[in-house]
Amino acid sequence: MNQESLLAAALSAVPRLGTRRLAAMLAVQQPSKAMEMLGREAPSVQDIEAMRQKLDDGEMSVTYIGANDYPALLVDDIARPSVLFYRGDLDVLQQRRVGIVGTRSATAAGRYMASHLAHDLAGQGVAIVSGLARGIDAWGHKGVLLALDRENKDVSARDSHCGQPIAVVASGLDVTYPKENADLWKFVSESGLLVSESPPGTPPEAFRFPLRNRILAALCEVLVVIESHATGGSMITVEEAQRRDISVMAVPGSPRSLSSAGTNLLLQQGCAPVVDATDVLVALGLDNRRNHPQVFDSRRTPSAQDQLLLSHMRGEAVTLDQLLMRTSADLVQTALALGRLESEGWVVNNAGWWEVLGRGCLQGYGFIDGNYRQVEH
Amino acid sequence: MAFASVRSSTLLGVQGKAVDVEIHVGMGLPGFTIVGQPDEACRESRDRVRAALLSCDLPWPNRRITVNLATSVHERKGGAGLDVAIAVGLLIVQEILPHEIAERYAFIAELGLDGTLRPVAGVVPLVAAIDDRIVVVAQDCEREARIAARNEVVCAQTLAHLVQCLIGESVWTPAPIRTVVNVAPPSIDMKDVRGQTAARHALEIAAAGAHHLLFVGPPGAGKSMLAQRISGILPALTDAEAVATTIVHSAAQIPLPATGIITLPPFRAPHHSTSLVAMVGGGAVTMRPGEISLATNGVLFLDELGEFAPTVLDALRQPLEDGVVRLARAKSSVTMPAKFLLLAATNPCPCGEGMPGVCVCDDGAKKRYLRRFSGPLLDRFDLRVAVSRPHVDELLADTPAESSAAVALRVLRVREMAMQRSGCLNSDLSPDLLDEFAPLTTSAAALLRYHLERGRLSGRGYHRIRRVARTIADLHGVVDYASDPSCDHIDEAHVATALALRVGVHPQLSGDRL
Repeated sequence: MNQESLLAAALSAVPRLGTRRLAAMLAVQQPSKAMEMLGREAPSVQDIEAMRQKLDDGEMSVTYIGANDYPALLVDDIARPSVLFYRGDLDVLQQRRVGIVGTRSATAAGRYMASHLAHDLAGQGVAIVSGLARGIDAWGHKGVLLALDRENKDVSARDSHCGQPIAVVASGLDVTYPKENADLWKFVSESGLLVSESPPGTPPEAFRFPLRNRILAALCEVLVVIESHATGGSMITVEEAQRRDISVMAVPGSPRSLSSAGTNLLLQQGCAPVVDATDVLVALGLDNRRNHPQVFDSRRTPSAQDQLLLSHMRGEAVTLDQLLMRTSADLVQTALALGRLESEGWVVNNAGWWEVLGRGCLQGYGFIDGNYRQVEH
Repeated sequence: MAFASVRSSTLLGVQGKAVDVEIHVGMGLPGFTIVGQPDEACRESRDRVRAALLSCDLPWPNRRITVNLATSVHERKGGAGLDVAIAVGLLIVQEILPHEIAERYAFIAELGLDGTLRPVAGVVPLVAAIDDRIVVVAQDCEREARIAARNEVVCAQTLAHLVQCLIGESVWTPAPIRTVVNVAPPSIDMKDVRGQTAARHALEIAAAGAHHLLFVGPPGAGKSMLAQRISGILPALTDAEAVATTIVHSAAQIPLPATGIITLPPFRAPHHSTSLVAMVGGGAVTMRPGEISLATNGVLFLDELGEFAPTVLDALRQPLEDGVVRLARAKSSVTMPAKFLLLAATNPCPCGEGMPGVCVCDDGAKKRYLRRFSGPLLDRFDLRVAVSRPHVDELLADTPAESSAAVALRVLRVREMAMQRSGCLNSDLSPDLLDEFAPLTTSAAALLRYHLERGRLSGRGYHRIRRVARTIADLHGVVDYASDPSCDHIDEAHVATALALRVGVHPQLSGDRL
């Protein structure tokens, strides 16, 4: 690592030196000059050595405004980060990039959508940007993981034409948060790019997440919101994206589901809807009509009778009680059908509530004998 | 001879133990000592006995009195039920009563200061412990005393009256005239439950096979309402069950019904602040039976399961498997019956909604909430059903649902069928009995294999599903065992229903697989 990067890293850890002031300083001079300007406030030799140790231990790289490798995407950003810590390869930012964000308390259907969308987009060479939070964020990157696995069992991630994962996190890169995403954290830094503007050792403090979201938004070409409450982190990301003229798309959900309140609001306000990867690819200007058809949906087509049951379950999660009420069918027959659908992966039981894992079939429509057509009632 | 030995009994857990109260009156400074590990109530009988004797104009020997409580084992003896035995012993020593009295009678009652005989707790097991003598009890518990008595039971009103009866100068208080009391049917009925088809089915299956049942649902969904209605669909107790249950209730000093014996399955619903000892039993000297023993042959309903202390819930695990609870303390150990149907209700998460898309709890909050009930406890519920709020149309519908009486009939039929087939209820089928009485069809086995391979079922869960499937098959009348025992296979449909009624309670967290 060169000395200037190290000094920039040390400067970013100086208390009372905000990112905005540091950015203004680094925009006009090298970090070594900025050190001199700071005088007594400048980090000591010990601080710098400690930072070098941390960066080496955490295998982190550093870039700063004015450095040759500072991402071009961020150079002209309205709130550009002064210093960026990263693991992985900054060249990933050269790929087409789609952000996938959403609530932490997602429905099973939402998680399914996130991972499938990310999987399909990654299969088309689109990098997936997300925040590695619980819920939708994590499931988006799980989809990428699956795509990379499928695409190249033996080719290394760097050589494949698959989209790669990009994650922007709020804490220091050596502070994994949340803990359960440790595997994904590792996966992203090994096969893609893991970025943070917080120096190593920074805890995941609440105020850092909205700040993180601005970088996340700035790195996307298109931002897709899978599920979101009417307020929350995803909506902050959406605002940041809109400030930067980045197009925002949303996945429609049931009007009765609070987890879709935010996305439905966005749709009301004129955002484009997303029901599958094609919608996003079209927004990116990538025409995939001539590509080979998707093979990911390997689920066997349910019988007409099971289709009917599925049509009663669309829209929102239902309990067995509600389902029996809607269909007025026999408990045993319904249970049998649910068992069939579950083993084929069409529905999932989420703590007693059944959810349909669909590809956005409209009410009353379904696959019959392999063709998508109206289901007879 | 200044010595007498009078038979009485003391209580430990739910069992009476015969005690020989030995009395010696001799030279020395006047005094009264009780030896043989008496407890506080027992030690105080000195004052009660003295006051009672004097109130009845009976003499008190002004010499050195030693009372020994002799049993076959060294254990603390508790309770005030030995009072009359001590008093009678003193009278025998003073030759007011003949020595043969001690050979023919046993005494179980407390004394009031005015000499009245008072009832004591646990008369049923106390009387049952005496096998070869006529038992004298207080009038108020005469009916209770006869439930498990192996020989004659008589009662007297005061100590003076007792003495007269014993020497033949008076007659025993006659048994009060029995008025036949009809046990009122429970006023709560299944027909009040609107909608909730799956939950109703689950309740019926639970009652028919004695399967443990957990309701999960938002507040106001009717979980508690449903649970309370299980009493109405359970069959009445058999004679043996009734006696066993009555003994436990008597030992715990719970007022018995007007008929004297408990004939309906008990329904115990302890509050969630219940302590460990109150739940499983224990406590000082007498080891009072806990809620799980009081629910024997009936239902233990734990509302708001998540609010119970985790230690209390985990203490249920062993009794749930064994049907008895074994308590050991430094001075004694007891085994009490605890064969109950566990019924529980809980909210799915802190906000109570649980429905994906409506619930606002994040993963951390859900995890913390779910840590309250351990996996092993949840695994012991054969049926776990999500209950949702009934639809408005159903709530306001005029047509009542099926009544408890109709359901109870089916439950009784299935229970009889199970007893006739395997000699036990379906929930008690051991794995080898399961193979014999609930063989799986190929498709049913394949379905179970699928879920076992995906890790959705544990080994215990696998057997539990098969037991529930057996009950479901019985309820659906697919099998007429009497006519054709060979076609007794469990179908895929029954297994699927059992699986659908045993949902995972843990909401999926972002780390889980889909």
